[in-house]
Amino acid sequence: MTQAGIRHDTETVPGTVAPPPELADWLAAVAQSRNRQAFARLFQWFAPRVKRYLQRQGADPDLAEDLAQETLIQVWRKADQYDPAKAAPSAWVFTVARNLRIDRLRRQRLYEVELTDEADTEDEHGNGHQRTLERLDAGRLTALVGALPAEQVQVIRLAYFEGLSHAEVGKALDVPLGTVKSRLRLALAKLRTAMG
Amino acid sequence: MNIRHHPDDSTLVAYAAGSVTEGISLVVAAHLELCPQCRARVRDATDLGGVLLAGLDPAPVGEGALAAALARIEADIEGEPAPPHTPRAVDGLPATLVPWLPAGLDRVPWRALVPGIRHFRFPGVDSGGGTVRLLAIAPGTALPHHGHGGTELTLVLRGSFADEIGRFAPGDLADLDPSIQHQPVADTDTPCICLIATDARLRFSGVVGRLFQPLVGI
Repeated sequence: MTQAGIRHDTETVPGTVAPPPELADWLAAVAQSRNRQAFARLFQWFAPRVKRYLQRQGADPDLAEDLAQETLIQVWRKADQYDPAKAAPSAWVFTVARNLRIDRLRRQRLYEVELTDEADTEDEHGNGHQRTLERLDAGRLTALVGALPAEQVQVIRLAYFEGLSHAEVGKALDVPLGTVKSRLRLALAKLRTAMG
Repeated sequence: MNIRHHPDDSTLVAYAAGSVTEGISLVVAAHLELCPQCRARVRDATDLGGVLLAGLDPAPVGEGALAAALARIEADIEGEPAPPHTPRAVDGLPATLVPWLPAGLDRVPWRALVPGIRHFRFPGVDSGGGTVRLLAIAPGTALPHHGHGGTELTLVLRGSFADEIGRFAPGDLADLDPSIQHQPVADTDTPCICLIATDARLRFSGVVGRLFQPLVGI
């Protein structure tokens, strides 16, 4: 657990820390052989970040730590449902933490569907597969986020970490709702174009 | 299904970030089921969430946390129970909505709202200050001209409607924010059935609209 306690800034710049490629191997080892050592590595990497995420969402440190532990326990239990073709490990753990937050902090739920791509199943020529390979390149996406203009990163952060609606983001930044939305659109368009 | 109207990127970001109400998430999920293109967009927004999570400053975690987690997984009965049975779509009704309406769109327990409009509320769905409901709008019937206090998402399931923005057919989703005033009219010879969620009360304009407000409560 080397990173914890070394950095003291509370606002990291997105794009500076790419998720290590080993995450996928650890997750696979947990899913396939219930490997405790791989789980320990996943825990050490994710729990401090999930804890920070939950604190940003309004949980006090004790609750955030309990829920971070709960998130990783769910990762253990649901590991065999993880499909590397559908999400990068960090994206999948993000959804587990997000859903736990909505359940425990808001007492609501998020209705979801399988985010399958018809191209994966219907295209015999491998076009869906191409898309999958790009999806797994979290390092590249990380660099792209780091290169976004500050005002776009700011609205993204508020949306993902503060649990704010776009109207609330607009109020927090004192800009019209339309501006919040257009910054998000611009950011997404940029990321999408660059990821192909 | 040729879908021409989709949720705004900002709506899909809010969905992936988990900052929408339960009611809004229900409508987005029903659209996603019908729209591979938007499923891909939500995957992008979810990937973004993963990258942002990875970039967070790690919070110090208690010394015993890992040991406690390992003890908990040892105490686990081997294997996670199978995920709950997921329903299948029923004749134009997305699977997401089937738990409330197992008999499908032809046998909805409608209640009359105002002449020409029937509705069905989804019990147990928390929509914050708004509502989530199915509306059946008789052919030629217009909803009163209205604006919105917040977001309004409308997903057409059967028939179609037209408003100032365009024409909306099955699978199409109208994503309206407070700046938009509109007056949808069911424009085919069958009732237009649509799923509508708001995250704040609608504001009706004009005398008829103000009369309509207390009746509808949307």
